[in-house]
Amino acid sequence: MSQAVIESLGLTKTYRMGSQQVHALAGVDVHIQQGEFIAVMGPSGSGKSTFMNMLGCLDSPSSGEIRIQGENVTHLSAAELARIRNRYIGFVFQQFNLLPRTTALDNVLLPLLYRKDHDGNNDFASECLRRVGLAERMDHHPSQLSGGQQQRVAIARALVNQPAVVLADEPTGALDTETGLEIMQLFQQLNQEGKTIVLVTHEPEVAAFASRQLIFRDGRLQSDKQVQAESASEHLARYRAQKQQEGLA
Amino acid sequence: MKWWMLCKVAWVALQVNLMRSILTMLGIIIGVAAVIIMLALGAGAQHEVDQQIKNLGGNVFVVFARGRASSGARGASGSVQTLTEMDAEAIEQQIPQVSVAAPTIWANAQVIYGNMNWAPSVRGVDNRIFPAQNWQLAHGREFSAAELNSAGRVAIIGATVQRELFGASDPIGQTIRVDRTPVTVIGVLDAKGQNTQGNDQDDLIFMPLDTVRKRIAGMTLASPRAVRSLIVQVADERDMALVEQEMEALLRQRMRTTGTDAPFQIRNLSEMVETRARTMQIFNGLLAAVASVSLLVGGIGIMNIMLVSVTERTREIGLRMAVGAEPADILRQFLIEAMLLCSLGGLLGLSIAVLVTRSLEKFAGFTAIIQPEVVLLSIGFSAMIGIFFGYYPARKASKLQPIDALRHE
Ligand SMILES: Nc1ncnc2c1ncn2[C@@H]1O[C@H](COP(=O)(O)OP(=O)(O)OP(=O)(O)O)[C@@H](O)[C@H]1O
Ligand SMILES: [Mg+2]
Repeated sequence: MSQAVIESLGLTKTYRMGSQQVHALAGVDVHIQQGEFIAVMGPSGSGKSTFMNMLGCLDSPSSGEIRIQGENVTHLSAAELARIRNRYIGFVFQQFNLLPRTTALDNVLLPLLYRKDHDGNNDFASECLRRVGLAERMDHHPSQLSGGQQQRVAIARALVNQPAVVLADEPTGALDTETGLEIMQLFQQLNQEGKTIVLVTHEPEVAAFASRQLIFRDGRLQSDKQVQAESASEHLARYRAQKQQEGLA
Repeated sequence: MKWWMLCKVAWVALQVNLMRSILTMLGIIIGVAAVIIMLALGAGAQHEVDQQIKNLGGNVFVVFARGRASSGARGASGSVQTLTEMDAEAIEQQIPQVSVAAPTIWANAQVIYGNMNWAPSVRGVDNRIFPAQNWQLAHGREFSAAELNSAGRVAIIGATVQRELFGASDPIGQTIRVDRTPVTVIGVLDAKGQNTQGNDQDDLIFMPLDTVRKRIAGMTLASPRAVRSLIVQVADERDMALVEQEMEALLRQRMRTTGTDAPFQIRNLSEMVETRARTMQIFNGLLAAVASVSLLVGGIGIMNIMLVSVTERTREIGLRMAVGAEPADILRQFLIEAMLLCSLGGLLGLSIAVLVTRSLEKFAGFTAIIQPEVVLLSIGFSAMIGIFFGYYPARKASKLQPIDALRHE
C-alpha cells in the first residue's frame, strides 16, 4: 500500500458534560489514499463531523493521531496547524461560510493571502472560479449569488491552495435536489481529475457517488467498504428529464 | 497577510458599520481636538509674551512714584520726597550697569486736528525714552535741546494717533491741539502693535517733560522737576538683580527713607509679564490634562466596540483560521482595526482643532500656534490608545479555537 495522504490512528474525542462523558469518537483508524472519493455516513451524533474536524486540524483529539502525508500533526502549535490547514486542506461547509461584502474572487483568494510566499498573482483564483463554472460571477458578492453558486465559490476557495485533500461536511445539506446533484457532479469531476475528497452526508443517494463509504455509529467505524460509484451526471440528466415530464403533465 | 491587505480588511470592516465607527471615534476626535486646541492656545500666548518681552526688552525696570505724584510731599520737615529727573541722572551716573534711565510723566488729553478728535495717552519724555523703550522714528526727528529746555510746543506721535488724525496725509509740520495747547508734530513713531493684554502700544504722544508739566491742564506736580516714572535699561540682563538692589539703596538714600513705605516702587516688567504668562500656561496645561482624560474615555469606547466586533465576527474569525490564518494574523487584523479607528479619529480631531483655532484667531483675536510636534504626538498617541485598548479584544479573538469559532451562532 502506498503512503496515505491523510490517516487517523486510534482517534478518540471525549467531551465532558458535567459529570457525564460523551465519547464522540472512540478509536477510529482510517487511511485515505491519494485520489479517493470517500463518503462518511452514519446517524446523527455518530461522530462524523467530529472526525472531519480532526482530519482537517480544526480540532484536536483526546488521544490518537492524525497524520498528514506521514507526518504526525497532533501536537503542533496553533500557528503550525494553521499552516498545515493552509497548505494541505480545503474545507467546504454546509453553510458556505463566505465573507459577505467581499467579491467571489476575493473570497477565493482568502487562503492565499495567509501565505507568506503569495506573490499577489490572482490568476489561479480566477482559474478555480472558472473551473466551478463561475467565470462570469467573479465580481459578485455572496448576496448576489444563489445557494448553489455560493457553494461553488466555496469549492473554488477549497481548491485554490491545491490541497492534498478536500473535506466537505454536508455540502449539499442546504441545497435543493437539483443543485445538490450539480455540486456532486462537480465533486465527481474534481475527483476524476485526481483530487482526494472526503464528504459527510446523511443521504445514501449522495453517498452513492463516492467510491468508498465509511459508516459511523456511536463514535466507531461500523463499516468501511469500496463501492461502485454511480455517475452524478447521469443522475442529474435523469432528474432533469423527469422534472420536465412532470412539468408537461 | 500583508500589512496593506490588513489595512484594507480593517477599512472594509469600519465601513460596514460606518455610523458605529464614527460614534466610536467621537471620543478620540473630541479628545485630540481639545488637547491640540489647548496646547495651541498655550503656545500662542507664550509666543505673544515672548514678543512683548522682546519689545520691552528683558532688561528694563520701571521705577514708579508711589501713589499720586502730586501728593509726594510727605517729609515732616517740608522736604519733598518724590521721584525727579535728578534721580534718573543719579541712577545713570552712579550705577555703571545702567545704560539709560528715562524720566516720564503721563497724562490723558484730548487731541484735535482739524475736525478730528482723539484721546491718546500723553507722555512727557526726553530723548532717552527712545533707547529705553526701543522706539524707532518712522518719520521726522527727535526733540532738540531747545525744545526740551523751554517747554517747546512739539510732539512726536504714535502710529495709531497718526492713523486716526491724519489718515494717509503727512503729519510732519502740522499743528495739533493737545487740550488747548497747539503743538507741532515733528516725528512719527514706528508701530509696535498690541501687547498681550490687547492694549494698543502705539496710541500715544510724546512731548517734552516740561511741556506736559506746564501746558497740559490739571497737572500739578510736587516739585518742578518731579516725574511719574523712570524707565531704566540695564546693559546686561544678567545684572538685573544687582541693579535692582543698588537702585533701591540709591533712591532710599536720596529720598532719605528707610521704612517699608518708600515713595517709589521698582518693577521688573518682563518679570511681571512672565508671571502672568506662567499662570496662563498652568491653566492651559490643566485644561489639556482634562482633555486627555476624554482621550482615555475614548479609548475605553474603542475597546468596548472592538469586543462587540470580535463577538459579532466570531464565525468570520473561525473561517479565516480554517483557511490558514495564524493567531498572529487575527491579532494583527483586530489591532490594525483599532489603530485605524483611533488614527482616523486623531486625524479628524486634528482637522477640527485646525478649524477651531483658525476661527478663534480670526474672530476672537487669539493667537494660536499648532506646533508640528504636537500634531505628531497626538496622532501617535491616539494610535497608541488604539494598540493599548485594541490589544485585549484582538488577543481574545486570536485565542479562539478554530472549531469553536466556526460553530459560533
Ligand atoms: N462541543 C461539544 N461539546 C459536547 N459534546 C459535543 C460537542 N460536539 C459534539 N458533541 C457530541 O459529540 C457527538 C458527535 O457529534 P458530531 O457533531 O460529530 O455528530 P455528527 O455525526 O456530525 O451528527 P450530525 O449528523 O447531526 O451532524 C454528539 O453526541 C455530540 O452531542
Ligand atoms: Mg455533523
